[in-house]
Amino acid sequence: MEQVNQGVRENVYPQAAQALYRTLSQAAISAVTPIAAVLVALAFGAALLWLNGFNGTDVVTVMIFGSFQDARSVAEILLKATPLILIGAGLCVAFRCSIWNIGAEGQLYVGAIAATFVGTSIDGLSVWVHAPLVMLAGALAGAAWAGIAGYLKVRFQASEIVTTIMLNYIAIILTSYLVTGPMKDASAAYPQSARLVREAWTPRIVSDMRLHIGILVAVVLAVALYIFLQRSSRGFALRVVGLNPHAARYAGMDVRRNVMIAICISGALAGLAGAFEVAGVTHRLYQNISPGYGFEGIAVALLASNNPLAAIISGGLFATLRSGSEVLQITSQVPQVLVLVIQGMVILSVVAFAKFRDILRIAA
Amino acid sequence: MDDMMFLTFLATLVGAAWRLATPLIFASIGEVFSERAGVLNIGLEGTMLVGAFCGFATAFATGSILLGLLAGVGGGMLFGLVFAFFTITIKADQIVVGAALNLLGMGLTAFVFRTYYVSTGKGIEIAQPIHIPWLSDLPFLGEAFFRQNLIVYSTILVAILATLVLYRTSFGLTLRAVGEHPKAVDVAGRNVAAYRYAAVMVGTGLAGLGGAFLTLGHSNQFVEGITSGRGFIALAVVVFARWSPIGAFFVSLLFGLFYALQLMLQAQASIVVPYQVLQALPYLMTIVTLVVVRGKGAAPSKLGQPYEMR
Amino acid sequence: MKKTALSRRSLLASALGLTLAGMIWPDLALAEDFKMGLLVPGSVSEEGWNRIGYNALKGVEDQLDAKISYVELQQNPASFEKAFRDYASQGYKVILGHGFEFQDAALEVALDYPDTYFLISSSSIHEGNVIGLNTDTSQPFYLMGVIAAKMGKKAGLVGGMEIPPIQQAFAGFKNGAKSVNPDFPISEAYIGNFTDTTAAKEAALSMISQGADFVVPNASGATVGGYQAIAESGPDVRSFSIFSDFTPVAPNNILGLYVADYAQGVVEVVRSIKDGSPPTENVVFGLKDPKVISFTLRDDGPVSVPEDIRAEVKAISEKVAAGEIKTGAD
Repeated sequence: MEQVNQGVRENVYPQAAQALYRTLSQAAISAVTPIAAVLVALAFGAALLWLNGFNGTDVVTVMIFGSFQDARSVAEILLKATPLILIGAGLCVAFRCSIWNIGAEGQLYVGAIAATFVGTSIDGLSVWVHAPLVMLAGALAGAAWAGIAGYLKVRFQASEIVTTIMLNYIAIILTSYLVTGPMKDASAAYPQSARLVREAWTPRIVSDMRLHIGILVAVVLAVALYIFLQRSSRGFALRVVGLNPHAARYAGMDVRRNVMIAICISGALAGLAGAFEVAGVTHRLYQNISPGYGFEGIAVALLASNNPLAAIISGGLFATLRSGSEVLQITSQVPQVLVLVIQGMVILSVVAFAKFRDILRIAA
Repeated sequence: MDDMMFLTFLATLVGAAWRLATPLIFASIGEVFSERAGVLNIGLEGTMLVGAFCGFATAFATGSILLGLLAGVGGGMLFGLVFAFFTITIKADQIVVGAALNLLGMGLTAFVFRTYYVSTGKGIEIAQPIHIPWLSDLPFLGEAFFRQNLIVYSTILVAILATLVLYRTSFGLTLRAVGEHPKAVDVAGRNVAAYRYAAVMVGTGLAGLGGAFLTLGHSNQFVEGITSGRGFIALAVVVFARWSPIGAFFVSLLFGLFYALQLMLQAQASIVVPYQVLQALPYLMTIVTLVVVRGKGAAPSKLGQPYEMR
Repeated sequence: MKKTALSRRSLLASALGLTLAGMIWPDLALAEDFKMGLLVPGSVSEEGWNRIGYNALKGVEDQLDAKISYVELQQNPASFEKAFRDYASQGYKVILGHGFEFQDAALEVALDYPDTYFLISSSSIHEGNVIGLNTDTSQPFYLMGVIAAKMGKKAGLVGGMEIPPIQQAFAGFKNGAKSVNPDFPISEAYIGNFTDTTAAKEAALSMISQGADFVVPNASGATVGGYQAIAESGPDVRSFSIFSDFTPVAPNNILGLYVADYAQGVVEVVRSIKDGSPPTENVVFGLKDPKVISFTLRDDGPVSVPEDIRAEVKAISEKVAAGEIKTGAD
């Protein structure tokens, strides 16, 4: 409904006022509402802890502040935020175009597979060539995997919700096959690939911390996607297709082409996230390379109201919660799954607050 | 394989397929109701987990499977009420709320299970297969069709009832109209929101039942994430079945068949295909079928859209 | 220096949005406490692999008066290194990474914390303060294979995922059975995860319907589904209880119990570290360590292993313990 309303507004407001309005309202969405929503979700988490015999205030003192004890722990949060921001920002583009790509998890996996292939089969390149090549491979593979669902949608009207879910399973099973079979490290008993050659590793920002340049790439890409969506004619076309495909067709836009572009962009970013997990963090391919980043990325995009710029913040927030839940378990033995409850509550409260805000605006 | 072996293999396959399909049948038929009324609930996975947990916890405390099943349905509906409130009353985006409920379902069940049941270890008594005189003892056919428990048999009843309700009652007619032309329903003086609430309740209640089957009708334990993605598969089943309850029944069976076949073929030493290929088969088949039975003409036209009252 | 400034700016930027500066980490623990941490890849609430790690931790707490803590990492490799670092920086003396997948991360962190011992389950590494602990599950499974081939017609093995501890166990079973009868049929199936009890049950049922009369499930949390299938299939199907005691689930079918008191093994290793004489090579527990690995045959059940076979199994067991029989793969 939000989007439909915006569509109506576009006709009513003059261009400049409309741009200002949108910037302001987006600032509001991406700043005030989430903070209030996070507080409500934390309160819910605290109540849950308290009801079950834990110390409720731990949710704030340990889970949030505990994650910020020193530079290294902040770096670890940013490390976790990297795939979430990439996937979240990419999905913003797909969701804006009304393409429900639920398949970021699978796209991440194929990105990781491609990155591993490029990172283990080639040797002797300079880091300036090899590391970017690995990222490119991941992004292309992710885009191609998402492109399958896109093609099936535009060619056969196959629901992308279903095909991307199926492609998730297939990608995860494919990874399992590869690390126990063809890509398995011959020298180890374990189901894992060989180590990527050092030149293929994503460069670190500071040599003694694991944080790699992926976070910078993620932020730059998120900003670029925001500009793309808001300022470019292609971005405008994507949004129009998302709002009303019939109107878009009437206006002479190639709906199929726009759908393909949107889903491939989201797939490319998910694939890139997979490449960073392998090339920047684990340096090997494992069966469980992702703890569900692809699904969490959906929540990141939704929390950001499909605004790639806001996805930077929501991605950072979800990474903080995830990291904090690990600290909380270490210090207080609170089951780590608490993070899922809080994340779910964050989304619900954001939804509720957004509606509350709309009501206030109408009243005003 | 000689003929006898092959018949035994088939009989076991069909029996296993039906059991594996049962949670999918419940959840997907429920989702048919929901989607026919225009409400897309991608929170099925979380809802099924809630059903599985509530069913287990109740049966664990009371020893009664029936109470457990009721609790599974009730837990699912309670969860559904949250979904309905956000998507119908507040008119929030259905995908957003569904995604949140998946997180909540997974997190809450695991958190509570972890806090209270960690060291119990022991499970509960599950529903036992019914011995039907003569039928259960038939060679091959008995194994394939007549050695299931009541919950498995009830899937037939649910499929028939769902079809009758959806196509032969005024409730069903109105419910479908709500998904196609809510305005017309509104103008005719019926409450669109109430019908959508009812559809979501039916959907989540059945999803809860599907989850409860896992803990009460199949394995006697709750395990975190026991649904293992079945909620997502059920979503695919609904589309595959073109929003028909009977279709959902048979498509679920097809999924069950593939799943069972995959497990059974692995055990055949003579088959040398990597088992991952077999595991991927049902998912590949779904995609292929979507392409073959192309077109989305059957989708409710207002699927996923909140309704603004006049 | 430029790089550092850059990272600091990005760190600040992210912290700003949450306005969370200025808090100090509460460090309440006393320096002289002996502390042990545990990293597990999944949930400790299930009977299975993760619970074994947790029990080891509890054993160290009870017997060595240590302060303990654990963290479940949901098989998320990105978190491994951080968790090791969190513990090491808080003065934990011993950190157990429960699974081979923790090895790379431990090696990385170990360089910065030379006084901390990093134990890795299911690993055969020994590099400085990183020490692999391995339970050779192929040994008890070898004995099960021997019994199955002597008493049964066909065996079925239901695995979770194709990972070394499970592959190793199944290799032992097959080698044991083949030592009795090279043509003894054994079928094997993996359900592809560790949570789907339903799949484990159906896999076992299908094996039984195809003639298997010895079925052993090994799928961590989902294992219990396999025993249910066995129990429902009547007393002609035999099994062994592995890791935990599953006899209440299948009282009429279980011939014997393989119980790995991994905890006791870990306690001994940690004790040696506490006493200042850590292991000098990687540790392998086997039938030679009766405190850690016990394989016992039941006498109280409705079915039991005949005396003559018991005697043979005992003899084989002694040979395995002495290292005269190789039970695992290659």
